Amino acid sequence: MLLPLIAAAFLLAGSGSAVFTDEAWNVDYHYALLGQPKQSTSFFHQPNPSSRASLVYTLSERGVLGAVNPRDGAVVWRQVLLAGASAHNASFLRAGEGQDVVISGIGSQVAAWSAADGRQAWSVDFPGPLEDVEILELVDGKDTSGAKDAVALSGGDQPVVQRLDGATGSVKWQYQLSGTDVPYQVSASTTEVFVISLHKTILGYLKLKVTSLDPVSGHKMDEHMLSSENELATADTIVTVGANSASPINAWTDSTHSVLKVNIMGTKGISSFDIEKHGGEAVERVKLHAPYHINSLSHFLVHYETATSHWAEVFHVDLKRGQVEKAYSLPKLAGRGAFSTSTSDANVYFTRVTSDQVMTVSSASHGVLGKWSVGGFNVAAANDETAEPIHAVSEVSIRGDTVSAVRSAVLLSTGDWVLLRDGSPVWSRPEMLASTVSAAFATPAEVEALVQQLEAEAHSNPIEAYIHRLTRHVQDLQRLPAIIMSLPQKVVQGFLGTSVDGDITSDSFGFHQIIACATQDGRLIALDAGNPDKVLWNQQIADLQPGQTWQPSVSSPKGGVVEISSKASAGVQYNASSGEQLVSILPIDVTADQAAQEVKYAMHDGGLEATVDSSTTWHFMPTSGERIVSLVPRPLNDPVASIGKVLGDRRVLYKYLDPNLALLVTANDAATAATFYVLNTVSGAILYSNVHTGVDLSSPISSMLSENWFTYSFTAEASGDSPKGHQLVVGELFESLVANDRGPLSSTANYSSMQTGTEPFTLTKIYQIPEPISKMAVTRTRQGITSRQLLAVLADSSAIVGIPYGVVDPRRPIGRDPTKDEQAEGLVRYSPVIDFDPRWYLNHQREVVGVKDTITSPALLESTSLVFAYGLDIFGTRLSPSFSFDVLGKDFNKFQMLATVAALAVATCVVAPLVTRKQVNTRWQFM
Amino acid sequence: MLSLSHLALLLCANLASAARLTVSIPPSPPLLPNPSTLPPSTHAVLVGPPGVHYDVPIRRDSTFVFPDVAEASYLLTLHSRDYFFPPLRVDVSKAADESQQQTIQAWQTFRGNEWDNKGPHYGSGKGELQLQIQPSGHKEFYQERGGFNIIGFVKSPMILMALVSAVMIFGMPYLMDNMDPETKAEFEEMQKSSPLTGSGGAANQIQNFDLAGWMAGKGTSSGSGASGGGNSKKR
Repeated sequence: MLLPLIAAAFLLAGSGSAVFTDEAWNVDYHYALLGQPKQSTSFFHQPNPSSRASLVYTLSERGVLGAVNPRDGAVVWRQVLLAGASAHNASFLRAGEGQDVVISGIGSQVAAWSAADGRQAWSVDFPGPLEDVEILELVDGKDTSGAKDAVALSGGDQPVVQRLDGATGSVKWQYQLSGTDVPYQVSASTTEVFVISLHKTILGYLKLKVTSLDPVSGHKMDEHMLSSENELATADTIVTVGANSASPINAWTDSTHSVLKVNIMGTKGISSFDIEKHGGEAVERVKLHAPYHINSLSHFLVHYETATSHWAEVFHVDLKRGQVEKAYSLPKLAGRGAFSTSTSDANVYFTRVTSDQVMTVSSASHGVLGKWSVGGFNVAAANDETAEPIHAVSEVSIRGDTVSAVRSAVLLSTGDWVLLRDGSPVWSRPEMLASTVSAAFATPAEVEALVQQLEAEAHSNPIEAYIHRLTRHVQDLQRLPAIIMSLPQKVVQGFLGTSVDGDITSDSFGFHQIIACATQDGRLIALDAGNPDKVLWNQQIADLQPGQTWQPSVSSPKGGVVEISSKASAGVQYNASSGEQLVSILPIDVTADQAAQEVKYAMHDGGLEATVDSSTTWHFMPTSGERIVSLVPRPLNDPVASIGKVLGDRRVLYKYLDPNLALLVTANDAATAATFYVLNTVSGAILYSNVHTGVDLSSPISSMLSENWFTYSFTAEASGDSPKGHQLVVGELFESLVANDRGPLSSTANYSSMQTGTEPFTLTKIYQIPEPISKMAVTRTRQGITSRQLLAVLADSSAIVGIPYGVVDPRRPIGRDPTKDEQAEGLVRYSPVIDFDPRWYLNHQREVVGVKDTITSPALLESTSLVFAYGLDIFGTRLSPSFSFDVLGKDFNKFQMLATVAALAVATCVVAPLVTRKQVNTRWQFM
Repeated sequence: MLSLSHLALLLCANLASAARLTVSIPPSPPLLPNPSTLPPSTHAVLVGPPGVHYDVPIRRDSTFVFPDVAEASYLLTLHSRDYFFPPLRVDVSKAADESQQQTIQAWQTFRGNEWDNKGPHYGSGKGELQLQIQPSGHKEFYQERGGFNIIGFVKSPMILMALVSAVMIFGMPYLMDNMDPETKAEFEEMQKSSPLTGSGGAANQIQNFDLAGWMAGKGTSSGSGASGGGNSKKR
């Protein structure tokens, strides 16, 4: 009678990993990020030439091309063009006027993408890295019908210019650049294609070499050198070279930014302008903003920046006389500002965004056409930091002579990408989170404060503790009115089932944990896992020079505190709730066992070395030809509720539980073999090892160790008689394989890894999986009672799956049906293929792109584990691997319960008189 | 002119060495009537020997183009957010001599089976192959909760028992009234003698169980009868 019930319970537990319809989209959260946009590759563009609705396109620093809806900031589509790209990768994004494709260039590939839905139109690979991509708007002064062609310049050993057909991507002509000059940029005017390369003079200075080509045939028409004298020492001071405008220009400054030189492309004359010194500060950056349309006026704006202020000057190009003239200047303002260029017919407008206003001027005169004040960007920043605009792209609506509306997509110094409509923020995207490299969960400081107060009461004398407690309760009374006020609302929400699980201070389930994320560009950002729509705080913690990288690691050594450590510095601690740096490092009360010694182990000379008190205890050296791929220790906080597995017949199989286990993976490139070792990290003993040959070592090998089981996955190579594809191996360690027997450990109450060397009995199973797993993690709960779920990141499907342990259990019987006892345990017959059930996808219909790692944390509820994934996208959810057995979920219908109670009450009232009458009647009849 | 001839040379070289594979997704009602509804993240992956790996995104015409595939044996997988596609084995084998083109062949393959176990032949070509792959299933992400179901509720044994007893309670008196006197007398006789409902029956015994008497150590057989009698006298 009991056995089938138990079996049913196990089966239920096995299927407890599904995403429910009412929980999807509510419990989980997802930021579909692009990475910080670049000024040169961001623009507004109409995906459908016949409609006026436009999208914001960008090719970000992270190599992601995407289209964002300017209305709500949602990603319309995106494509990862170069995984693992950084800000140093040259990338280009162009859109021809009235075209339904955008053309990208990154790495060595030029590709055209449908602007409306993000599907690829064509792609072309170049032999060398790309230096520039432009679109030919006009050929020989005539507007070509249909798709506009692209011109691309690639560097490397054989620099080449190619004209690509706009519809198919086929090469129309190519021109091989000769000599030792470094190709720099390509530009097109109405009648010529210009290739600019950098020529190094004998003295080590650079000169610009302009080669003009015929756009139809690709033949060389002219070549000349610009006499830049000795101003250009590096390519960094070249402000701009060309643009796809009516009159492309070259502009550069000297290394001290004291003079600006401008050359109209195709001519040899150079205009020189002195850069005014506003105040005593040195100009740090000079940027040039010019319209990108061939029909617009040939005006451009030069933007000067010092450390504390910025200003701009507008220049006009006189095409007939071949001269450049300064038209007017925009006044100097404190702080940083961003300028953007927009066009309407032939007119050119410049929009200036500063931290307190948005202003639009026409390129023709300095009269202000529209001005809006900015109240704030509505983004989280540190207390001493003001969010300042870094760069912006704008779209202006013109009505008559005035600007009726302006929309600007602004990148702020905090890393947020914000859209301002007439000066007020409409949406913001936390693009700085796209470069998260390390993250950790921490309990909020408010929760920790109460814990500390209670501890203080426990450790002082009774009278003091009583007074402390009284004062605490009096202080709590102050919050009483607020609680009473919110009571009706809470009751109503409770009935409607819409109750969000409290705020961060009254979090009874432990869902409101703080997630601290350290990013590649030196910022520390905190999110609330229970209320993920808002960034709690965001601050710059490392001052990184351009090109400098760091490898931070975030951890939470105790409640309410986040600690950052990197290679360069020891741990710095921050308050988890406010982000304040904790100056006073609290003394850690060392009450640890004096006899306990720490064994530290680290990678050393390609091997593994463990030390106790700076003396080496053991050494692990892979055999010759092998290299260490990864080392995964058992998690520090990995509670296990039961030391054994209860079998169907009530006997127990004892788990081999050792806190000092690690899974080491080594690879042999010559033999294409991978070896997996389970090590005891105290004694250095190898508890288990296995070699797999024919492994594709270029594809990811992921591994994970928890409790008494380990798992790893790899891609196997094809051979005639073995399956090709991706494999998942699961192994479980037992003290003995005989039930109710602890093997050699049975007589010992305590044991030490140092003294006794017991070896576990290991069961393993291999499964075939449909796609590679790039990273593995495991759910964690408070007491470890809840069954565990293996979390696997699937890079190809952009998904994270939660695989129930019962599915990969190594004790599944092979070649026979499970016995009744095994069925009672929930074991099913082994089958070599596991298909990932779509209901296991934690992200369900969302696409979580570029996940690097997944972290988990227990909630206060035993049933629930918090999951957070980062990399490019940010994704988080709550998981209940054995169903939410300790909390009423959404499936609990409160109305139904009340209705049942009411119906029963009514029924009792109706039936009671009937029953009494009947009882009385019975007595009279039969007695 | 130099550049043009160079280009032609390049193209020829490409033609000689490159094997081009085009995979298209045809409309396949009722599962996928319109392949242009597939999201732009749909992509195809060719996994070859270690280090050889091609990954291409979906194109506007719902095809995947691998322009240049090296000679090897590949596993072709299509990944889409909403649909499953069967895995394929694609072999690009060497041409007989320099002038000829490589042979591309494709079969269905079965996961977990040895690599030589090939399924239906999808096609073969010289230097170029066009394949059509239809989705094998739709991905169902969500688990419906077992909501309140009135039929299921009524079917449960508890409710059935309650209903039957309710029918007995309310229906029996009418049934008794409508019986003709002879049957009625017979029925009453039967009820009296039945162990469950008679005055000495189990039901009455339980109902009139004298706990205090039992605790005081009275015999059950005499106690139940005595207490039953006592009760009726009180009334």
